[in-house]
This record gives sequence, C-alpha cells and structure tokens, in this order.
Amino acid sequence: MSARASRRARGAARGDSRGGAPAFREDLLESLSNAAGVSGDEHRVREIVAAAVRERVDTLQVDAMGSLVATLGLEGPGARNGNARMNGAPRKGRLPHVMLCAHMDEVGFMITAIEKEGRLRFRRAGGIDPRILVGQVFRVGGAGVRGVTGILPPHLVSHNEEEKVIAADDLYIDIGASSREDALRHVAIGDTAVFDTTYEAWGSVRKGKAFDDRAGCAVLASLVQERPPVPVTAVWSVQEEVGLRGATAAARRVAPDLAIVLEGTASGEMPGAGPEESAPRMGGGPTLTVHDRSLMADARLVDLLRRTAAERRIPTQWKRPGIGGTDAGKIALSGAGVPSAVVSVPCRYIHAPAAYLDVRDARRTVDLVWHALRAIGKEWSES
Amino acid sequence: MSPASPKSAAAATATTAMDSLLRPLLAAYGPPGREAAVRAVLRRLMRGAGTWEEDATGNLHLHRAGEGPRLLLAAHMDAPGIIVTRLDGETGQARLSILGGRRPAELVGAPLRFEDGRAAIVSWDRKEGADPEMDQLLVETGVSRAAGRRATRANGSRPLDVGDVAAIDDRPARLGDYWCSANLDDRAGCAALVHALTRARRVRYDVHAVFTAQSDLGARGATTGTFGIDPEMAIVVDVAHLGEPKETSGFSLGKGPCVALKEQGFLAHPDMLERVRRAARAARVPLQYLIREGEGSDARAVRAARSGVPTAVLAIPARRTGGVGSLVHVSDLEQTAALIAAILQGGGGAAGERSKSRRNQPKARAGARQTKRGGRK
Repeated sequence: MSARASRRARGAARGDSRGGAPAFREDLLESLSNAAGVSGDEHRVREIVAAAVRERVDTLQVDAMGSLVATLGLEGPGARNGNARMNGAPRKGRLPHVMLCAHMDEVGFMITAIEKEGRLRFRRAGGIDPRILVGQVFRVGGAGVRGVTGILPPHLVSHNEEEKVIAADDLYIDIGASSREDALRHVAIGDTAVFDTTYEAWGSVRKGKAFDDRAGCAVLASLVQERPPVPVTAVWSVQEEVGLRGATAAARRVAPDLAIVLEGTASGEMPGAGPEESAPRMGGGPTLTVHDRSLMADARLVDLLRRTAAERRIPTQWKRPGIGGTDAGKIALSGAGVPSAVVSVPCRYIHAPAAYLDVRDARRTVDLVWHALRAIGKEWSES
Repeated sequence: MSPASPKSAAAATATTAMDSLLRPLLAAYGPPGREAAVRAVLRRLMRGAGTWEEDATGNLHLHRAGEGPRLLLAAHMDAPGIIVTRLDGETGQARLSILGGRRPAELVGAPLRFEDGRAAIVSWDRKEGADPEMDQLLVETGVSRAAGRRATRANGSRPLDVGDVAAIDDRPARLGDYWCSANLDDRAGCAALVHALTRARRVRYDVHAVFTAQSDLGARGATTGTFGIDPEMAIVVDVAHLGEPKETSGFSLGKGPCVALKEQGFLAHPDMLERVRRAARAARVPLQYLIREGEGSDARAVRAARSGVPTAVLAIPARRTGGVGSLVHVSDLEQTAALIAAILQGGGGAAGERSKSRRNQPKARAGARQTKRGGRK
C-alpha cells in the first residue's frame, strides 16, 4: 500500500507533465512479464491484471474464451450497442464507446509427447524462429519445472554438424527426468512451456520475456487506474498469437463504436541497417499502424492520434506497413464494422527468449492513448 | 415493360451512357481503404436514387426501398495501389508494399498518383532472369528529401511519409470495342450496377446496393456491409480475368457475363443460379460460366454473413494486358447491366417466389407477388 501511495505522490508531483493521464504501472509490467501465459493458458496473467484493476472498474468479467473484460462509465441508456447501426459514428451528442484491447497470451511451447527416456517433445504455439530454440532454458507446466533444449557439447560434435541448424522437430526439452514415469510426476502432455527469463531494469531499458503483449497489457491496466474521459470497455484478450481468436469473440459482444489495440511491436534495429530500415526504433516513441496484414487502420483515428501526439509533444513513429497482424484486424471487421487503430510500444527481439523496451515509450503510450480518448470524446460525438 | 426492350434500346444508345459512367469511375482515386473519391463519384452519378449511408469500413450503401425481399447488390470500389513502407535515404526513393492483388512484375514502370496529387513511378532493382519480388520495387518520387523539406517550409506541403498510399495513375482508353484501364476491376462492376439501377423500372425487391471498400484486402467491406444490411439474397458483381490461377472454365471476352459456379470460398447457391439463368433467358443475355479456385470475390464474405445469404456472382470477363491494364469488352458491360436490370425486374422469377430451401424463413412482404412473372417466358 505504501508503495502505491508513494507512487501516487510522485504521480501527483508530475501531474502537469502528464496532463491528468494515469502513471504507467511498471510494477505490473514486471509481474506480467515474469508470468507464464502461452496461448490458451493465460490464467496467471489474467489473475495479475484482475487484481490490479478490480477496484478501479465498474464491471469485471471473464468471457467464455477466457478474455478479461472490464467496463468503465458504460451505464446509462444507449451507452452500448454502437454497432447496431449501419453507421459507425455514434449518435450526435452521445460519447462514443471505445474498446481498448491488449492480448494476454505469449508465444511459447506445448508439450506433445514424453518419450520413454523422459525427454519432452514439444510444438511451438505462435511464431517463433526455430533457430533460437537450441540450448534454451524453459519453465514447463504450472509448477514451472526447468528444462533445457540440450544438445551435445562441442567436444562431441563434428565440424559438419556445427554448420547445421537443428530442426525444431528434432529438439526436445530435458527436465532431468530419468524415465517417462519420472517426467510424468512433474509434467503432463498438454502443459505449456515458456522461456525462463526474469525481468530486469537498468537505465530506461527493461528486459524481459513476452513484452508482446504484456507491454500492452500493462499500458491498458495503467489506463484504467483513472476514470477515462469516454465510456471504455477494456479487454485483455486470449489466443491472439494463434489467430486473433479471443478478440474476435470479445468484439462481437462488446460492439464498440471505436477500438484502439495496444501492442508491443517489433523494432527493426539491426547492425548495418540504416535509420529507415530500423524503424520503428526502441526509444523513438509510441508506434502507430497505417496498414498491416490484418488491418487498414481507420484514417480519421490515426490522424487524431497523430494530432494528439503533436499537441502533447509525444514523438511517434510508423510501424512498417504491410507486416504482422493484430487483434485490431478482427475487431475492425466485427458486426457492421468498427473504426480501429493500433498503438504499440516498440520492443527489440520479440517472440524470442528476452526482449528489450524503453520504459519511456510505455509511459508515452499511456499518455498518448489517454489524451486520444479525451480528443475522441470531443470530436467523435460532434461528427 | 418487358426486360427485353431495355436491352434493344441499349444497343442503340447505351455505349455513350456506359462510357459516361465508366469514365469518372475509372478516373477516381481509390486504393483499398482510401475510397472516398469513388464514393463521391457514385453519389454524383446516382443523385436522388435512394438514401445513402457510409459505414465504418468505408462502404457506400444505397437503399432503394421497395416491396419484396431484401436484395443485396455488391460491387467493390477499391482498385490496387501501394503503400510506402520506408523512405530510402535522401534520394527521393521509397520502398513499397502492394495493396491488392497485383504481382510485382505488373507494377514495374507503373505511374502512381498519391491522394494529394503528387506523381511518382515504380522502378525496380533489376536482377537478371527473375521476376521482380516486392522488395525490389521502388517508388521514384524524383523529389529528394532535402527538396521535400524546402517545399514544406516554402508552401506547407507535407513531405512523403511512411504509410502514404498511392493509386495507379490510370489512363483509361476506349480502344475500339474495348475499354482498357488499370481500374476496371471492379469499377466495371460498379458501372454495370449503376447502369442497371438507373434503368430498372418496377423493381421487385427492397434493394440495398453496397459499393464495398477494401475488397482486395480480403473482402473486408463485404464482411461488415452485409452484416449491417442482413439481406435475404445477394448478387455480387465483379470482374474475372482470363487465365487466373486454376481458372478452368475458359470463358471469352465479348460473349456475355459469367455466372460463377465456384470460386475461392464460394459455391453458387442453386436457387440464385437458377434465378440468374431465368433472368438471362428472359432478357436474352448470353451467359458464360466461371469456375476459378485461386481467386474469389466479395461473395465469400457475403454468403457467410450472419446465418448465411443465398448468393450469386456475376463476373465481367476481362483480359490482362501484362502491365497494370485490363481489357473489357463494351458489350459484356452492357449485357451485365441488362442482366442485373432483368433480375431486379423479376426476370429471374417473381421476387417473392420462395425457394424451397428458404421456406422456413419469414418473408411476409413477398406473398403478394407470388404469382406474378416478370420477363418473357
């Protein structure tokens, strides 16, 4: 409690610079990043978010697929059902109902078989480059048993073999079990596994796993710490990494007037890459999407976000068009259509054991989305 | 009025009528997600034709109230374009991603036009012996970034940026009996639909014409537009190119519209197919068949909306020129419009005639027209 009180005090002291926007809850980023939550197995993440927002929201529910759905300021006649009409804009004078969405699941692994010798065979859940799998440490199952994708040490490997990348299908996780029976004491088929990475901070850099999309989850949980200026349904969705599934179901139920999806997205910095090829850069500010494989972002909403950023002197950058896809693609096509945009925290090395982000980008993302909600309240209800 | 008579009238006069519809439609800027100019042209061409609405995805919806079942007519507004993905140094070159179904080879050398009127051209990093890949394509603006910044200071013009969208700068041409243009897919369908709606009298349906957005990105406008209207039956009007992947039916240009038996994600609904066939006979429109598996139309989204919509696809035959252009025969445009008009007038059987498969669905307004027949038998 005292930690929170002192954080508030600091927030109040900086209140002017944030212009009334809530503070970014870095403590949540840490606990969310450390929690295991592979697609379909998001309950640990959900519990952390629920505990952080329960006191702040009007209603809090878990939907049939497992997404966490919170509402703020939705009571009152006609506050819902934005989607019942052909036209996506709300009635004159009524504040638009905004869906904010971040996905709880991370890319990871599922145990598919246990061999006689106790080795665990696994499959990838979500997009992971097979070249990064060798020699990693994992946390397996609910108990977080440690395992490694072991390979023979260099002493025993021929030069020819060193040149080759081992196919994902040939890898196994070794938890040190002596037999199938021994392994089954700790692990069951269908258990999920995550990279064994612990959150760390130095300077403005934050290191951890699953920043895609625990960064978005933490930004969203931070945003609902204060009463937003428009009616909001906040959705922490499930199964994004395996096909945008949780958001598909949630959007149909929420039927919002507008949607903003919060993401941790890939930054492009690599040795030898020019500044253009590197964009977006970690530390370069919140990242906006124009177009990806799932979405043409609503041009008015993107323009509003850009103008808001300019007014707040928040630097923004573009996500490289044409790549990736997010929950926004499904939300935009739900019902009779929902104008949608994506705001992301740029992260290095996502979908890998450890990613970096710049905590200033996360703070600016909270700030930008908060003030965009304010602008939406002003502009969208007049149009 | 017999549905056959508009057709014969059309033969004498409609070349110019169709041309005057096509010209502004082909010229309108409208890559996927940026269809505002096409919406404006359509509203102008059909002023007073009914009530208009635009939805969140960018669809333009014309409702012409009438007795009879709710019929959705869909043609997509968007045409292929490009989006700037990255600015290359200071040279005024940029990298791009293609919006819509175009192969990189077709775009090499294509003139581009941005929404604000800026011109550019597509060039490529030439590699011998191979078809160009998308990452070899370049947008050549001819304006270095330094010059762009100077222009911004001088007159406030916005410099080229990542995310800017350009259309193919089309030069539509009437070549003998053909129209040649980059935007025929599916402005030709839009024109046929407008023409049919303009000339159809005694329409036997509650007509919802939806000019859809973002079709080339995966039938996105059709997904949300159909949900919003909740139609009882639907006709999608699109363009089919000869020699598309796995296209097997072998249609030709100048021999009438195609009705699709099968395409990606779509199998013709038997009742709707029959309705089209009867209307074609009544209006004496020759019909060809389209079977394609590698490509599809908005029909895959329309037919799957809500609890399903019986849907037919009419496709105007087209041939690619090899670059960005396509060729469409003017008589196919006329015949497609005549066929749609005949359907609207009940030439495919009275609008209220209920198909067996839909018997359990309420369709109260249809009853009165059950015995009437449009068209000649």
